Amino acid sequence: MTTVNIDVHHVTRVEGHGNIVVDVKSGEIKKCQFEVVEAPRFFEAFVRGRPYYELNLITCRICGICSVGHNTTSLRATEKAMGVEPSEQTVLLRKLNFHGETIDSHVLHTCYLVAPDFFGVPSVIPLVETHREVVERALRIKKLSGDLCAMVGGRHTHACAMTVGGFTHTPTERELREMQARLVDARADMDETVALFSTLPWPDFERETEYVSLKRDDEYAFIDGRIVTSDGFSYPIEDYRKVTNEECVPFSTAKWTHHNRESYMVGALARFNNNYDQLHPRAKEAAAKLGLKPICYNPFLNSAAQVVEMVHCVEDSIRIIDELLTRGVQPENPPEMEVKAGEGVGSCDVPRGILFHNYVYDENGICTEANCVIPTNQNMANLNHDMQALLPRIMDKPQDEIRLMLEMLVRAYDPCISCSAHFLTVTFV
Amino acid sequence: MLGLGNPLRGDDGIGPRAVEELARRGLPEDVTILNGGTGGLALLPVLEGWARVIVVDAADVGREPGRFVRFTPDQVHLARTPGNLSLHHAGLSEVLALANALDRSLPEMVIFGVQPADVGWGEGLSLPVETALPALIDAVIAEVNDPQYQF
Repeated sequence: MTTVNIDVHHVTRVEGHGNIVVDVKSGEIKKCQFEVVEAPRFFEAFVRGRPYYELNLITCRICGICSVGHNTTSLRATEKAMGVEPSEQTVLLRKLNFHGETIDSHVLHTCYLVAPDFFGVPSVIPLVETHREVVERALRIKKLSGDLCAMVGGRHTHACAMTVGGFTHTPTERELREMQARLVDARADMDETVALFSTLPWPDFERETEYVSLKRDDEYAFIDGRIVTSDGFSYPIEDYRKVTNEECVPFSTAKWTHHNRESYMVGALARFNNNYDQLHPRAKEAAAKLGLKPICYNPFLNSAAQVVEMVHCVEDSIRIIDELLTRGVQPENPPEMEVKAGEGVGSCDVPRGILFHNYVYDENGICTEANCVIPTNQNMANLNHDMQALLPRIMDKPQDEIRLMLEMLVRAYDPCISCSAHFLTVTFV
Repeated sequence: MLGLGNPLRGDDGIGPRAVEELARRGLPEDVTILNGGTGGLALLPVLEGWARVIVVDAADVGREPGRFVRFTPDQVHLARTPGNLSLHHAGLSEVLALANALDRSLPEMVIFGVQPADVGWGEGLSLPVETALPALIDAVIAEVNDPQYQF
C-alpha cells in the first residue's frame, strides 16, 4: 500500500512562508494540508489611533506587490466613511494605476514563479539559459507596468501621490502619450506571452467550488461594485462579512473563510469566471487561445486567467489614456470634505482576489477600529480542499512528482502569504 | 550610490543607514543616492543606465563584525541562494547573476561589503557596525570623489 511522507518546509517561489505537510500511511491520508507559518503582521492594530489621511499610506505597506490595491481599497473605505466621492478624473487615474499593478503582479507570477515549473528549472535565473526570450519579455513588461504606476502614483511601489479624494500629482499629456505608445508596442509581447502559455501542459484537475469576485454593470470590475459569487449570490460591499465568515484554524496564522460551500476561491480565475463577458475582445481571443472558458474549475488555470487579464489591462489602459487625453488632465484639489465620525468599507479586486478594508473613525477622523480581509486568506481553505482532492489521484506517483504537483498547486493560487498572516490566534482542538 | 538591506533585520540595515548618513553629509550634485531596500530582482533595471554604481550592503566577508571590504564584482565569487528562488530572497548576487545570464552590461560597480554581527529580527545596528559607520561613510565619500572617476 502507498506510503507518502512529504514535508516541504517553506515552499519556494511564493511570497512569504508556508509549508506543505502530507502523511499517507498504507494508502490512507492521515494529513494533507498547507500550513501558513508566517509571523502575524498586526496592521489592523497599529492603524488604530492614526488620522484618516495616514491610513492608505500605512496599509499599502501590507504588500509591496499589490500596494496600489491596498492603497486604493483603503482610500475607498475612508472616502465612504467621510462621505467623499472622487472626481471622474480621479476614478480614471486610479483605474490606470490599478491596471499597471495588475500587469506587474501577473507577469511576475506567471513568468518568474510559474513558468520555471513547466520548463523544469528551479528559478528564473537558469530559465535564462533555456528560455531567454521569456525572461527578456517579462523584464520588459515589468518595466513598462512599473513605469505606468510611477507615472500615475508618483513612484512604482507605495505610491506617494494617492490621497483621500484624489491625487496630489497628475501625469502630463506628453507622459500619457508616451506611455500609450509603449502600451501599444507591448501588444506584441502580450501575443507572445499568450502563445507561450497556450503550449503549457496544464495539470488536468478539476474540483467544483464557489468563485467570489466584484462585479460592475459597466466594466470588468477591479474597483468598487458588488460582491458576487458563482453560486448566484450578490451582496453590497458593506455586507462582506456575510461572505468571508473568517475563522481560525490551528495550523495556520492565516484565517480561513467559507460562504455557500466549505470554501471559495478568489483571484484571476474567479474574476474570469464571473465577469468573462466584460473582458476586452483581445482578452477573449487570448482566452480562446489558452483554451480557457467560463466556468473553469481547474485551479491550475488561475495562472492562465492572469495572462488573459494582462491582455485586458493593457487594452483597457490604452483606452483610459485615450479618454484622459480627450478630456484633458488638470491638477485638481481634493473635494471639500468635513471630517466626521463614521464607518466605511472599501473593496477592490486586487491581483490575488477580492480585498476588503473596513474602518471606523471617531469625530476627529481618528481610526478606532480596522479590519482587512486579504485575498490569500480567502483562498487558504479552498487550496487545502484542492490538495486533499488532488492527492488521492496522484498518490501512486513517485514522491518527488507528488511534491512538485502540490507545490505547483500552491503556486497556482499565487499566494502572498506575508499579506495574509495578520492575526495570531492559536485555537487548540 | 545604492544602499541595500532590510532595516528590520539588525545589521542588514547598514545599506539604508549608510544612505541616510550620506544624504545628511551631502554628496556632489551628479551623484544620486538611492535606498534599494530589499528590492530583489527589481533592482536590475535600477542598476542600469548609470556611469558608475557604488553599493553598500551587509556581506559575509569573513572579517570581524563591523569591518568592511571594498571589492568589484569580478574580484569575488558571490554565493547565491541555492535552488528555487523566492523573490523575497533575491539579493545583489542574484541580480548580478541574472544580469550576467542575460548579457546585460551593467555599469562599473564598487561594493562595500560590511561584516554584520547580527541579522536577526530587530531594528538598529549592533555596536561594532555602528562604531564602524563613520569610517565606512568616509570611505564611500572618498570613493565618490576619486579623481579617476570625475566625468
